[in-house]
Amino acid sequence: MQSDSERLELRRCMKDAVVRQDAAAVVDYGRQLLASSGKPANVMFCASTFAALTESLNSQLGARSLKTYVVRSVTVEPLIPYLTTEAVLSNIILDLQVGGYGSYVDELLNSASALAVFHPDLVLIILDQEEIAGRLPELCADGIGAEVGQEIDECVARMAQLLHSYRLGNSARILLQGLVVPDCTSLGDVGDANLANSLPNSIQRLNQHLAALCATISDCVFFDVDRLAARHGRVNWCDARMYLASRLPVSAQFFREYSRGLVRSFSTLFRASRKVLCTDLDNTLWGGILGEDGPEGIATGSAFPGNCYLEYQKYLKQLSARGILLAIVSKNNEADVREAFSLRSADLALSLDSFVALKISWNEKADSIRELAQELSLGLDSFVFVDDNPVECAAIRQQLPEVVVVEAPVLEPWKLVEVLSQQPFFDAAVVTDDDVNRVKEYKAQVQRAELAGSVNSRDEFLASLGIVCTFQSALLAPLARAVQLLAKTNQFNLTTRRRSAAEVEEFASAEGGQAVVVRVRDRFGDAGVVGLALARNLGDACVIDSLLLSCRVIGRGIETALLAYLGDQALRTGATRLVGEFIASKKNTPCANFYSEHGFTEMISSQETISDSLFYELDLTASKLMTPKWISVEGN
Amino acid sequence: MSNEQIPASLRELLADIFEMAPEQITPELNMAVVENWDSFRHLQVILAIEGEYGVQFDPQRIPDLSSVALLLEELQKKGAAL
Repeated sequence: MQSDSERLELRRCMKDAVVRQDAAAVVDYGRQLLASSGKPANVMFCASTFAALTESLNSQLGARSLKTYVVRSVTVEPLIPYLTTEAVLSNIILDLQVGGYGSYVDELLNSASALAVFHPDLVLIILDQEEIAGRLPELCADGIGAEVGQEIDECVARMAQLLHSYRLGNSARILLQGLVVPDCTSLGDVGDANLANSLPNSIQRLNQHLAALCATISDCVFFDVDRLAARHGRVNWCDARMYLASRLPVSAQFFREYSRGLVRSFSTLFRASRKVLCTDLDNTLWGGILGEDGPEGIATGSAFPGNCYLEYQKYLKQLSARGILLAIVSKNNEADVREAFSLRSADLALSLDSFVALKISWNEKADSIRELAQELSLGLDSFVFVDDNPVECAAIRQQLPEVVVVEAPVLEPWKLVEVLSQQPFFDAAVVTDDDVNRVKEYKAQVQRAELAGSVNSRDEFLASLGIVCTFQSALLAPLARAVQLLAKTNQFNLTTRRRSAAEVEEFASAEGGQAVVVRVRDRFGDAGVVGLALARNLGDACVIDSLLLSCRVIGRGIETALLAYLGDQALRTGATRLVGEFIASKKNTPCANFYSEHGFTEMISSQETISDSLFYELDLTASKLMTPKWISVEGN
Repeated sequence: MSNEQIPASLRELLADIFEMAPEQITPELNMAVVENWDSFRHLQVILAIEGEYGVQFDPQRIPDLSSVALLLEELQKKGAAL
């Protein structure tokens, strides 16, 4: 419990920091004040202090201002200081406007409504059950609920219409709050649990449908308020006295939890989640100290306290499954660590393969993390660092302020998973296949970077990669990928012609035409379709219309292999010359000398034309284009 | 009732809610004179006081507690530790 003097001291510090206009200190003291007690007076004090500091929060901390409109059917006004306070703790400034009680339909549908005129960045839709599904309690009451399914569908369809209609004319991000599952009904606990169409079961289904609806609308997130109610106790979540007297949907004792959950939920619409978790080993990934206790002495496995660490390992493994990259950052002897992972593999949920990188050395951890950020080509603001040692944690906080630091509770290892899961930094409302595959691709990238550092010459390095190129007709590979490459590639793109799918098909099917894609894999991974060329024969010449390569694979000779393939195909279709074209753009200088580097000569006539094109030619009967010796070629 | 009879904690709480200086919080202050003390702000005041002092007001009495003096009197009736 917070003593009065402590509270007064923190308030004084905050006021002093306001006078100094030191926004970071104000927020930090505010956080401490609220952490020790979230009593209303502290929240009101923070809210009014933060409100006077908006400009400094913007300029010093880069806090994001969000014009936010609340579409509601319930009383939200008393929540406002809590919402604005929690938002500031997440580096967001809410500029709130609240709509009328009964006007949500008009607000969402009418293009001249108060909502539309406000032009918000964010819309919070907070409706209660009476508005979203007013008939459900009645339809569920008989325990059979013959019409319940249909009613749920209609409720969802109504909401879909409102959201779609609003989305059509507006780009604001949307948060739709779900419903709280009622704690008790006239069917009683047994009936509520066993009858499929009891009100609690029906509301749960409705929530699932609403969440699915939100997933179909761009920049829209579903806020599962029932999850919070369940976590903190549905019995007390709503104060019936205040709900019935003032339509207040949440009991005042949970204003902070509610606001925190709401802010966490919409934050995912405005910032990318972090991508890398760096974990310490001793007393974090396992119990004890490897260097002192030895591989058999460290605590991990099914028995307590080893199972606390096993839970943490499993949690990391789950993060990895959806694309969060794991790395070890530990001061240890690498050989000892390898031995421990091998001897204790049965007691560990992770193997060394689970990590994209191992930074095991006696170097400063800040240096290791910086190095890792470079190898992964990721910003430090993508990193989370977990360590039990307060000194290491403080060092990272100080040297790499962009990195989020999580201090592992060394005396209560069973709490680590909970501490991690309460943090919003890995939150994502959407997970794509690309996210899931990211782990493999980044792992390959780190391994290539490490290998590049360990071999002497470039050729030796490239040879050690074991690159395999597969050439295919663009029609056999996913055509969408070819078009995507045409649309997106800028650096290594000789003509930057944004050809459409239909045009690619034309090249592929024309007599003497070519539409070729190249897939690339090496010993570390499959990069997929990364290059494309379009060409067609005109007389004795095969003219290259487009040739491009994803920048991820430039510099490995793949461009040469692609050109050699085109040359072979040209000869096969009766052409004797290969003609290349280059159109300079702002971004394609890396390939400006591509044709001359491959023995082409510039065609004199090209300078006389008015277009920006430069043409180059190569006599295929006199010189042969060679695929680099470190590349093996597959396909025809 | 004099200003000194308003406990410092209540004075500060109300000052933060009404966006006023603590010295301006007097017993006579009421909904009619404080510009931003509307019905929503009133609900905020009631909830904050309930949470701060661990009391619950009767919803039917809430609209009547429309001045600092009346709020304080009701708090004392509830036996709040001020």
